[in-house]
Amino acid sequence: MEPILQQDLTIAVPPDISVRGWPAEAGSKALAGYTALEDATVVRRLREAGAHLRASGRASEFGFGLLDERPGAAPLPPVADEAAGETAVTCAGVATGVAADDIGAPADAELVMDFMGESRLAAARASVYGFKPSYGLVSRYGLIGLIPSMECCGIVSGSLDAIGAILQTVAGQDGLDFSLPDEDPPDLSPQQIRPEETIIGVITEAQGAPASGDRQGPPAPGHAEGFRAGLEKLRRLGFTLREMSVPGYALFSLVHRVVGSVEASSAAGRYDSVRYGPRAPGAKNWNEMYLMSRGAAFGTLVKSYLMQGAFFQFERYEAFVDACRIRARLVEDMRQLESKADFFVSPMSAGPAHGAGGGAGAPAPSADEGRSATPPSLAYVYECFSSTLFANVTGQPALYMPPAPGSAQTGFQLTGPRLSDSRLLALGRLISGSRGGE
Amino acid sequence: MEFEAVIGLEIHVELNCATKMFCDCPNRPGDEPNANTCPTCLWLPGALPRLSQEALEKASLLCLSLGAELQPRSAFDQKVYYYPDLPKGYQLSQAHLPLSRSGGIDIVDEDGSTRRLRIHHIHMEEDVAKLVHEMEGRLPISLVDFNRAGAPLVEIVTEPDFRTPYQAMEFLKALRTRVRYVGSSDCSMDNGTMRADANISIRPRGTDQMNTKVEVKNMNSVRHVGDAIAYEIARQTAAVQAGEPVVLHTRLWDPDKKATLPMRAKFDGPCVPDPCVPAIELSSEWIDQMRARLPEMPAERAERLAAQHGLTREDALSLSADPEVAAYFDTLVEHGAAPRNAMHWLTTQLIPAVKERQQKLSVSPVTAERLAALLGMLAKDEINANAAREVLAEMFGCDETPETIVARRGFKQVSDAGALDPLIDKVLAEQAGAVSDFRSGQAKALGFLVGQVMQASGGKANPKVIRDLLSEKLGAG
Repeated sequence: MEPILQQDLTIAVPPDISVRGWPAEAGSKALAGYTALEDATVVRRLREAGAHLRASGRASEFGFGLLDERPGAAPLPPVADEAAGETAVTCAGVATGVAADDIGAPADAELVMDFMGESRLAAARASVYGFKPSYGLVSRYGLIGLIPSMECCGIVSGSLDAIGAILQTVAGQDGLDFSLPDEDPPDLSPQQIRPEETIIGVITEAQGAPASGDRQGPPAPGHAEGFRAGLEKLRRLGFTLREMSVPGYALFSLVHRVVGSVEASSAAGRYDSVRYGPRAPGAKNWNEMYLMSRGAAFGTLVKSYLMQGAFFQFERYEAFVDACRIRARLVEDMRQLESKADFFVSPMSAGPAHGAGGGAGAPAPSADEGRSATPPSLAYVYECFSSTLFANVTGQPALYMPPAPGSAQTGFQLTGPRLSDSRLLALGRLISGSRGGE
Repeated sequence: MEFEAVIGLEIHVELNCATKMFCDCPNRPGDEPNANTCPTCLWLPGALPRLSQEALEKASLLCLSLGAELQPRSAFDQKVYYYPDLPKGYQLSQAHLPLSRSGGIDIVDEDGSTRRLRIHHIHMEEDVAKLVHEMEGRLPISLVDFNRAGAPLVEIVTEPDFRTPYQAMEFLKALRTRVRYVGSSDCSMDNGTMRADANISIRPRGTDQMNTKVEVKNMNSVRHVGDAIAYEIARQTAAVQAGEPVVLHTRLWDPDKKATLPMRAKFDGPCVPDPCVPAIELSSEWIDQMRARLPEMPAERAERLAAQHGLTREDALSLSADPEVAAYFDTLVEHGAAPRNAMHWLTTQLIPAVKERQQKLSVSPVTAERLAALLGMLAKDEINANAAREVLAEMFGCDETPETIVARRGFKQVSDAGALDPLIDKVLAEQAGAVSDFRSGQAKALGFLVGQVMQASGGKANPKVIRDLLSEKLGAG
């Protein structure tokens, strides 16, 4: 594979992706003052390919969720890029309500840590494309993460070509990340999709149909119609749509929450707020110092996530084991479906019942949820991501497709088999290109 | 009521790899503090672990040397505990899917019987940082040295098959020998490359109860392991006889007080699978390759040495205990040294001399080939034993052949009767009293006369030839 960026792209890099010499505080007090010692592999590859890197100064804590929920948190100081001394406004920044004036000029694309759908939801809020690559396709070296088995570097951009070029540049084996599977790299060059030969699966349970124990709320008013309109458009393009069922679909959220929180609880141990970050004062001995520093290090949302993980880890370990087993079964269920369809389409709503629907079809959380003194609950965050997180559980690539301007359709999410990234982007291009006449 | 002990061991062995287990930092814990560190072994944000191939190979050889079965699939877990020597909050260890299972060692018990002591499993794990407690003026301070953080370890967990301190000590000695044989570690309890913890409980003799155990740590010699176990058995027995319950806890061996003392418990959490280190999948071909790299193991080597060279079982076992010594012996014999003589000179002369000079046998300037040449001259009576010892001492400081040294120092032994006769006649004439004593039946007078002739020859005469000639002349025939 020849990693070539075809365009002179400006790419925003959030502070949870390491850029040597740049602050890498990951939006967390635990890493206050921490400066990256090395480039993340994705950063190094983009830099070598000639991309202009700019720091995006805002991120939720560790990039988890999209909201900066730290009480009283002020915007982090903007960080100048090496060349231009400017900072980038980010797609996710737009989505989270940060005014462009706050942080500078737009970038062509932004890298976004994706634990449960952050890149896609950020894109939905900004009405651009959001892409999560297959797990194991892109090195995680240098990503300051929380959920190692589900996290990856997502890409948000107004251009699918830019996303494709960035993916081509950053993907592939990396001697610094042994967790990448030892497998032949897929062909990431632009692909052709023939609608008449392509089956797109529509997962029944992903459409917000009530299911036992399902935490997903009903889709926002008008959303179902918008999604159906989108399906009709796919039919008109010549695709074969096939309704299919994943009976365990409702378990994706549960599995993500249990496995993800346990991994986070363990992985966050390294953010000790002792070797960097602020040490809590007043401890009588070093054990107490560690305890107090860790206790003071994390914001409410992340802390509650870590506490939840610790609960499963220490008190309900059997639940964690069950969740791992169910995860394996869900991965297998999805793999079975791949013999019946080439891609899958699902609505991008699944917002909480009290969340605003939003014309773009994205479940934009209310301003109150994002900025009030009361931080959002885990349940709220999980509801926000209930339609996206399944791809993080299975490791499939996923692409958020924004609606065409003025269209009655809503945005939707396309997913494909693992390592079908290039074909998935080709599908997105084909659908996107057909919108001109609408 | 008579009690018996139920003992299991957990032995940590530090592998002598060039690098740490998950990064390329040198595996030299003794260097300047924190000299051997990088983002990975400091576990800085964004760093990922990369399993060392050498660590996997050395750990696998270790497993095979102990008769263990390498598992086709093993994996690392995060063993969660919070302590300042592990600031990332978890240790990478193979809790659920260890590298090998089963295995064991046969020891000769105190009563001479052979006893099989089984191994439950062997897993790999990383070492933690070293804590150093100091005073800064009157302020106590604690420092963390990360040189050791990430050093490659294996942990050997035995079945609770041990009943006596003797068995534990014999097991450790045999284990150390085997691991040294495959070159995975020097297994020195002195310098911490082998550390043993013992889990000890007692029960009425003849029952199969498994009672509450106590873990004992901090034994830094095989002898201390035996002493600590013996102490703990006595302590628990006294407690039970006094009606006191044995409580699950950990104790430290205090070699000065010769007692185990309770230690503060570390917080110990559960293990969750680590998503960053890929599972290790060993093909049968790879395992066969590792097996083919196994050298002749000590028990088999001792058997061969006894059969091939007529050594006693004890001598053969003693030689085989150290792979370096055994290999040196083999080379000596290959170069023509008589096995018994080789054994004698190796153990009584060369090894002490090497130790005195703080050298290693394998890199000593006295190579097996050179020593074999020296022993060859001794065997042919070209030099005597005293001269041979002097030549050996000189061989450490130069690279001359023994023949050259003998010639230069004039050590060549005189065995020619014609040359010795005048000396013998002179001594017989001067030592009439000794001659008279010998003729009156005092056999030891012959030894005195031999010594006189040796002295007269300046130490060069062949004592055997002198003895023969003297006997002949004195009609002792």
